[in-house]
Amino acid sequence: MPHVADTSVRSPVLPSNAERTSNAPGGDAPVPDDSRPLTIIGPPAMSVMTLVRALGRLRQYRDLLYTLSHHRLQVRYKQSILGWLWAIVQPLSLMLIYTVIFSRVARVETGSPYPLFAYSALLVWSCFSTAVGTATNSLVSHFNLVTKVYFPREILPLSYVIAALADLLAGGIVLAALLVYYQIPLTIYALYSLPAVAVLMLFALAVSLVLCAVQVRYRDIGIAMPLLLQLWMFATPVVYPLFKVPAPWRPLYLLNPMAGVVETFRQALVEGRAPDVAPLAIATAVTVLVLPLAFLYFKKVEANVADIL
Amino acid sequence: MADLIVDHVSKRYKVTETLSDEPDSGALSRAMRRFRQHPVEFWALRDVSFQVGRGETLGIIGDNGAGKSTLLKLLCGITSPTSGQITVRGRLSALIEVGSGFHPELTGRENVYLSGSILGMRRSEITDKLDRIVDFAGVRRFIDTPVKRYSSGMYLRLGFSIAAHLEPDILLLDEVLAVGDAEFQAKCLERINELHGLGRTIVFISHDLAAVEFLCRRVLLMKHGRVIADGPPADVIAMYRNPASADEPSEMPDAPGSVSLAHP
Repeated sequence: MPHVADTSVRSPVLPSNAERTSNAPGGDAPVPDDSRPLTIIGPPAMSVMTLVRALGRLRQYRDLLYTLSHHRLQVRYKQSILGWLWAIVQPLSLMLIYTVIFSRVARVETGSPYPLFAYSALLVWSCFSTAVGTATNSLVSHFNLVTKVYFPREILPLSYVIAALADLLAGGIVLAALLVYYQIPLTIYALYSLPAVAVLMLFALAVSLVLCAVQVRYRDIGIAMPLLLQLWMFATPVVYPLFKVPAPWRPLYLLNPMAGVVETFRQALVEGRAPDVAPLAIATAVTVLVLPLAFLYFKKVEANVADIL
Repeated sequence: MADLIVDHVSKRYKVTETLSDEPDSGALSRAMRRFRQHPVEFWALRDVSFQVGRGETLGIIGDNGAGKSTLLKLLCGITSPTSGQITVRGRLSALIEVGSGFHPELTGRENVYLSGSILGMRRSEITDKLDRIVDFAGVRRFIDTPVKRYSSGMYLRLGFSIAAHLEPDILLLDEVLAVGDAEFQAKCLERINELHGLGRTIVFISHDLAAVEFLCRRVLLMKHGRVIADGPPADVIAMYRNPASADEPSEMPDAPGSVSLAHP
């Protein structure tokens, strides 16, 4: 409880009609029987309590999260002719390019038809790169709101991550068509794609939280982002299979959670076999470790973000 | 019962960090600048303490740079104090800039939802009030038109209408009366009075001393980041108009109901 000991504060002269709403007798001592939400604003701190309190606040603002995520989708393709098709065009065109390069020019052996092999991974990767790429600038581009209204700021990057998930679902239609075309039946192992997508979302959120907080102070991040994502893609088994990575390097390689996510997603849907558990397990472990730290870091920066922007 | 407790709150700004109007020309020049320029500390608020009781309308006055807007930002949670603590009991909304949450490509209706939820309203609440918001703003015919096609007056009216239909427990107002035309100001005052009648707690920051005197029963006077007076409007405003008396605390009678010097 706050320490309140200022004697210069006078007890207020309440107008008679105000007493109707007060459910406690007068006096300045805070009475905890109140149903109203209690907010305590103090200097920024990094602790477990901060985390718990922040999650509670986020829950109060879940309608805003819904509205903003919806808003991202509404706005993204306004006044564009292809509209929603853009969600499909991006991974599809990349797939065509990589198919030409890696199955015609330089042959990469894969267990499944290359277009399917590449598209299933590019679908997941595009989701990640769209989420992180758009979320990184989310605090800076909303400075107008951030400096004028309070709401839990993590809603901004989070709404971009959710919007990217909608792209993944839209692009999934093409994946389904490709599976039908190559006559690859879905097996029970396809269910492994669900935890893979869950880890994808959480990890994308963790990366977004850190990058958009850093971006507030150092705009270099936003400029370096396309390059960074390009490099990251080649450090992830998107255009080549995981088994091509030399075995001694694999433990280090798999510390990149996207490796486990992409590989598991592809094995589960395209190869129709039980995916290796280890890559996704490592990806999950790394994500579970990184996300709370990313969130706490974000909250620490958030406390004074309006002063820096 | 106090809805707002401000307890020994201070806020420090480091001035070089906020000099962002220069184009950011890279790490090297930034490093050079930091080398040449030591960050200057600036205390926007120093050890500010006060409470606002439920149903009270508190005015805050003072010169530019006295710390009024910083205080308001802290109360909203837009930024956090360097030290001290603020306790807010209830839902707090600030009427700062109308329409700042609008997106030009979206329709009026979509923007009502967007702007309403940014201000902290639930979707169901907005749906319930949509008709009243639209009618109050007088934009019913254009509610499904993108707001970029609105005239600036329509834009302003819709923005204000959303804010006016918020039902916060605590309402913060910063210079709202300064921006609109006479009709807008009248609507604002009317709505503020209405909210006061409903027992809402209101903090009103303004340079408009007549409005402060009209709306508030208690006024804080701020100077250089400190609260230097706290009491009935007439006395505090008189003190503000005649700063000489502020420097002479002994002149102020220390009787109940009169102005008390918060930091003699």
